[in-house]
Formats: sequence, C-alpha cells, structure tokens
Amino acid sequence: MSLKWPGVGVWCIWAMALWAAPPLSAAGLDSRPAAVAPGLQARDMAGRTHTLEEYRGKVVLLNFWASWCPPCRKEMPSMERLRVKMAGRPLAILALDSVEPVEDVQGFLDTLQLGFPILLDPESANTRRWKVYALPTTFLLDTQGRIRFVLKGGAEWDEGEALEAIEGLLGEANGRDQAL
Amino acid sequence: MRVRQIGILLAACVAGGVHAALPDFQVDPAQGARLLLWVSSERGRADAEKTAAQRLAQRGVTVWSLDAPGAYFLPQLPSSMDQVPAADVADWLDAALDSGRQVTVYAVGRAAVPVLRAAARLDAGRRSRICVLLMYPNLYESAEALADADYLDTGRLDALTIRLIQPRRSAATPWLPGQVAHLSRLGARVSLVILENLREGFWARETPTAFEVEQTRQLDSLILQEMETCR
Repeated sequence: MSLKWPGVGVWCIWAMALWAAPPLSAAGLDSRPAAVAPGLQARDMAGRTHTLEEYRGKVVLLNFWASWCPPCRKEMPSMERLRVKMAGRPLAILALDSVEPVEDVQGFLDTLQLGFPILLDPESANTRRWKVYALPTTFLLDTQGRIRFVLKGGAEWDEGEALEAIEGLLGEANGRDQAL
Repeated sequence: MRVRQIGILLAACVAGGVHAALPDFQVDPAQGARLLLWVSSERGRADAEKTAAQRLAQRGVTVWSLDAPGAYFLPQLPSSMDQVPAADVADWLDAALDSGRQVTVYAVGRAAVPVLRAAARLDAGRRSRICVLLMYPNLYESAEALADADYLDTGRLDALTIRLIQPRRSAATPWLPGQVAHLSRLGARVSLVILENLREGFWARETPTAFEVEQTRQLDSLILQEMETCR
C-alpha cells in the first residue's frame, strides 16, 4: 500500500529497513521448485478466452494486479518495456486484473499503451485458484508451464534480477531446444 | 477538547478500580453514554483519524485512542501488533466496561489481533457486551501465494459481536468469506460491510481519489453509523 502516516519512529524504521533489506535488484523474487501451475481461464478486454495451455513453449510472466493499486500501476510500464525488449523471443506477458469492473480497468488502460493481453477476473475465480493474497503478485512460468518464481510486490521487470530470472528461463528453453 | 493523560490514572478514575498494566492512550471526552475504543493500525494514528475522533467526541461519543506501536515503543510493522500484551488490552476493555457505558471497539488492520486476543480473555458475559468493528483486519499467520492462508490463534470469541468493514478495493476482498467463516468458527457473531470505491487506509493515502478525500471527511459518520447498527 502507498500510505502516508505520521510517527516519530517512521524515518528511523525506514532507514533500518533500507539498511537491512537486500538491494533493489534482488526484487524479492522467490524461487520455487518447479511445480504445476493452477488452471487459468480468463477473458481479455476483447472477450477472447485465454488459458495457459495456449502459451506452452513460452516463458510466461503472469501478473495479478488492479488499477487502484499504486505499485501495480507503477510496474506496468516496465512490463511493456520488457515486451518490446523481448520481441521475437518466446516470452508471453499476461496481466490479470483482479476483481474490478471493466470500466475501471479500461479507465486505467486509456492512460498508457500496453501491447500484452489484459485479462479480467471479475468473480475472482482465478485469484482464488492461484491463492493470491496481495497485489501485485507475479508468477514466472517456464516453457513447460511450471511455476518457477513468485514475486509479491512490484518490480522493474526489464532490468536487474527480474530480467535475469526471465533470461534464465529463456536460456533453459534454448538449451533444451539445442539438445534436441 | 483533547486531553493527553496517562492511561493508568485515567482508567482507574473512570473505572473506579485499580488496573495493573493499561496501555497509554488518549482521550477525547464526551458526555454521552457511548464509549469508543479506537485502536490504530500498525502504522500509528493518522491525522485524519485524530480529527475523526475529535468529531465523534463532539457528537457525544467518548473516544479512547490507542496507538499501540507508540505506546509500546514498537516498530510500525504488522508483526509488532502481535507483540502487544493481550492482558493489557483486556484490562483496557475491562476498564471500559466498568465505566458503565456502551462499549464499541474499532480496530484497524493488524490491530485486530491484540483486540481479539484481549476479547478472548474476557468472560463470555462481558464479551457479549462489546461490539468490535474490524476495519480491513489482517488476521493471517501466513498468506503466501499458491498456499492456503493460516490464521493467527486468537482464542475463543463466543458471544462477541464482530463487524468486518472492508474497503472493496483490496486484495483481501476475495478472501472475506474465509475470514467470516474463521471468526464464526471461533464463536463470534460476524457481519460484513463493504465500502465501495475505497481502498484500505483511504484516509491516509498519498494520492487519494476525490471520493476518498470526501469519505475521509466523513470518517466519523462512517464509524458512528457502524456503532449504531452493530448490536
């Protein structure tokens, strides 16, 4: 949450937190043992249904977000830069809006150009199936559709450790292709 | 009028008894029969909350406000609220009940944890006299993606009246049925109010919407309405 609160200890706590926290490039990505992903079925803004199966063979960045969420809004441009940077490579970016009226989503999308699918989850079925308790939450899936990384909170997706993780998954896929 | 007093002295006067360890709290006095115990979130008291407490006092509601991180010299973190001594808060609730006034507790965010733990320490008869308003409570022990969430142990809450107040624009909204079920299993009578078009902590956002600004001005009315209908 982006909140302003007064308090004597706030700046000290921030300073301590910054001192103790890992560098920003670490991004807080949580590496997971490869695990089968829950199902995903959601419509995009044009009404087309998307499932993960259709992205098999690609690394997938699946982002759960909402337009009222400041860190979600903040990281969106970096996802678009990532899309442009990775053009022609097997990476799919899917941004699933969690439980908002489509008008609210459209209002946000009118403010910036995004070239990746925006999916809707009006009844929260996907949010609950993936057990997402915080926004944004992002999952990185390998080309076999397995969850490999989870990030709770925002990131700059076109740089640092986030980009390294994506490149790592793309490299695995490339290595597998060459072995075949 | 705002009076800053040492909690232990004031509560002893109000309750006519002796309490060993009450937290330091602030009082906005009023002449009415209603008493609101306001426990701020782990982020401390925001200016808008202080203003709302003053307005409630002007409307006849005495407000005792507890800023737990400040009172116990704890970092402004959710986990700090888990360290607030439940016995102290229970003594505070007892002092409020002994005042003879109609007692409502309003807890924000993680403050729900010490409040519910304190309520669990009361005998059921006294517990049943309290209404607890939980503004976007965070009761999770752990809530990691892809796994079922675990709730903190608060103890039994039989006969306690709880009203969950949840701003719609929150990642918690899809999980409200589970939270209601959890509190009901502990014995509480639970009701739910959704605040449309608002975010958690809307009264202290860096970039509030126009609607959030308007609702912040009416925070006292919002709380008063829930106090009056929470019985």
